Amino acid sequence: MRDPIIALLGNPNVGKTSLFNRITKLHQHVGNYPGITVEKREGSVKANGRNYRIIDLPGTYTLYPTSLDEEIVYNALADKHNPVHPDLVIVVSEPNNIKRSVVLYQQARELGVPALFVINMIDEVNEKGLEIDYAKLEGYLQTRVLTTDARNGRGIQKVIEAFDERPGHFLGKFKVDEKYTEALEEAKRAFPLNTEYQTWQFLAQNHVSFLRDEDRQKIRAIREKYSLRPNELQQAEAIERNTNIEKDIKEIVFLAENRHLTKTNRIDRLLLHPFWGYAIFFAILFVTFQLVFTLSAPIMDWIDEHFSALIDYTASILPEGPISNLITQGIMAGIGGIIIFVPQIAILFLLISLMEETGYMSRVVFLMDRWLRPYGLNGKSVIPLMSGVGCAVPAIMAARNIENTKERLVTMLVTPFMTCAARLPIYIVLIALVIPDDTFLGFGLQGIVLNVLYILGVLAALLSAWVLSKIVKSQHKSFLIFELPSYKTPDWRNVGTNVWDKTSGFLFGAGKIILAMAVILWVLGSFGPNDKFSNADQYVMEANPGLSEEELEEEVASFQLEHSFLGYIGMGIEPLVKPLGYDWKMGIGLVSSFAAREVFVATMATVYSLGEDVDIEDEDQKTTLLGKMKSEINRNTGQPAYNLASGISLLLFYAFAMQCMSTIAIMKRETGSWKWTLIQTGMMTGMAYVVAFIAYQLIK
Amino acid sequence: MQKSFCLHVLKIGEKATISELNARELPSKFFEMGLLPGTVVEVKHKAPFNGPIGLHIHNSNVLIAIRRSEATHILVER
Repeated sequence: MRDPIIALLGNPNVGKTSLFNRITKLHQHVGNYPGITVEKREGSVKANGRNYRIIDLPGTYTLYPTSLDEEIVYNALADKHNPVHPDLVIVVSEPNNIKRSVVLYQQARELGVPALFVINMIDEVNEKGLEIDYAKLEGYLQTRVLTTDARNGRGIQKVIEAFDERPGHFLGKFKVDEKYTEALEEAKRAFPLNTEYQTWQFLAQNHVSFLRDEDRQKIRAIREKYSLRPNELQQAEAIERNTNIEKDIKEIVFLAENRHLTKTNRIDRLLLHPFWGYAIFFAILFVTFQLVFTLSAPIMDWIDEHFSALIDYTASILPEGPISNLITQGIMAGIGGIIIFVPQIAILFLLISLMEETGYMSRVVFLMDRWLRPYGLNGKSVIPLMSGVGCAVPAIMAARNIENTKERLVTMLVTPFMTCAARLPIYIVLIALVIPDDTFLGFGLQGIVLNVLYILGVLAALLSAWVLSKIVKSQHKSFLIFELPSYKTPDWRNVGTNVWDKTSGFLFGAGKIILAMAVILWVLGSFGPNDKFSNADQYVMEANPGLSEEELEEEVASFQLEHSFLGYIGMGIEPLVKPLGYDWKMGIGLVSSFAAREVFVATMATVYSLGEDVDIEDEDQKTTLLGKMKSEINRNTGQPAYNLASGISLLLFYAFAMQCMSTIAIMKRETGSWKWTLIQTGMMTGMAYVVAFIAYQLIK
Repeated sequence: MQKSFCLHVLKIGEKATISELNARELPSKFFEMGLLPGTVVEVKHKAPFNGPIGLHIHNSNVLIAIRRSEATHILVER
């Protein structure tokens, strides 16, 4: 016999995830629902002599879907053939909001799914001045009612013990209004195997995805015959149910004393203040990014150092040759490139999930919605956009908070325009090269240019969002309604699992693709098509006799790169980058930058024969690199390769182009679509090309 | 007779009873989250420059935020 499936169903902010973590004792994993990329949290627990599969359904207020998350809930409960159709539903509620949970409970029961009712955060009953008559509530709901406090684990065992209970027949509470009965009777004849409420749901929804086309046709015909609008039926149901529950629940849950959300209100008066609210939000943002960079810097250095040591050690024990190179410089360097991002991602998600757990995130949405809406974004887009200043990879993952699929997609598409940390070293090198160290109105010109580049990133993100929102089709109408939950101290287990899920998701998911790209680039850079690559030292020695050993080594590396596949690719694309003012060496830099922007500096160093490890923070090495780059002549134009025109053009190219395989990998993972991933890459790189072209041609 | 007016007109701290929702313009989610005819709501917060409105729904004791553009479809009376 297969393991019974127990699904947790409930409104957002009732502590459902805490309960899930307690029940499964963290035996859980995050997967995807078949065919779509919304996360499925599933876990397991052994109890009562068997094994149960536990599904944490996304939080929802109703079974009528308005977002992808909610559609999953409906499909899981209503479609008996759904792979996660539960044997038992646990409806999770909290004392403050029993009425809303009862709606969800009734809908589930009337669809024919057995359900138990759990009141979580039971410690708040007294705090909120409530009294509950449990016996009456059980009678009213026709099921077992259990109480839990998921934060300290109270009551969890009782819930697990009840997993084999299947409450008996449920007497429906929902009376369909007379004006719809005729249509409903006709629909029932078309679907004789379904419960009455199930049939009503078919009528009241525009598009039930699991029905066959012909069945959808039948339903549509009935709707047209009686000229029914789905929205109208849903509203009729909401009003019916709420009026009844309001009346009935008065006899069961007593509000001894109306204690409004006093504490939350006091905090909100400050955090949602028209001036101080914004000031505090920007201060929090500032501190967050400071923390992301300062806290992660030493860890990243440590990883970098130890990984380099590990690579050196591996190289020393392996016999020299192409295989050793592949393992150390291809694979291990690739893995190092992934792990180096882990501290930033973990810290960023730690701070973001703290903001979510406490309830502050909804306040950010409240404050920012007005400012992002004109661009087709949503208040919730602010989190991915701001995180993008650190790294686009966790930022794109943070867009999962956005319910509206269109606004989520647009947010993900434009987030990589934000100036991420990897662009900074390139900006620093290029600005030092081409922007004179003058002052303008008392400010350093170089600093101004750097700031302008950051602002350009924001503008590019907003403008392209505006354009994209005109193009992308939306399945669900854009509207905004969200709860501002009362402030809570965070549940550290939730924070922990959240950070782990996202960090490990990045590490293993995007990691695979990053690794593959790193290996490809390594192969291209380490092999050449002819003997100019394999016998590079002979060629170099013939051309420049009398080089010291060290100089010779550097010259050989440079000569090899020039005649490697990567070098030929660089020369191959030269006609393409020539209108932007670049030569083939810069072309190589661009090509290798498509793996990751930060590769540019290292590649330039190799091309200009400096050895691979240029530390851009080391003044001497920086001056040497800059000196070499400055004296470089573009053989096409006869002018310095890095003059004002080509430098500005290059800066703009880096500001806009999609040059990060980690971002491409994460986009594919998060959108589940190569189409949008490629559109994004094309859009960004195309825009970079056009802007760089115009800039170069104007300044030249 | 009491006069109905749009919800967004209410100032911070003012209370009113919902009399009617424009069912054609508003998704059913508004009803499901507790904005129903007969419900008493109190405006608690307003984001500047016609930003979202924070509503305290009295009978369920929760705070809900909606956009001003949707608040114009909700009629209330004092």
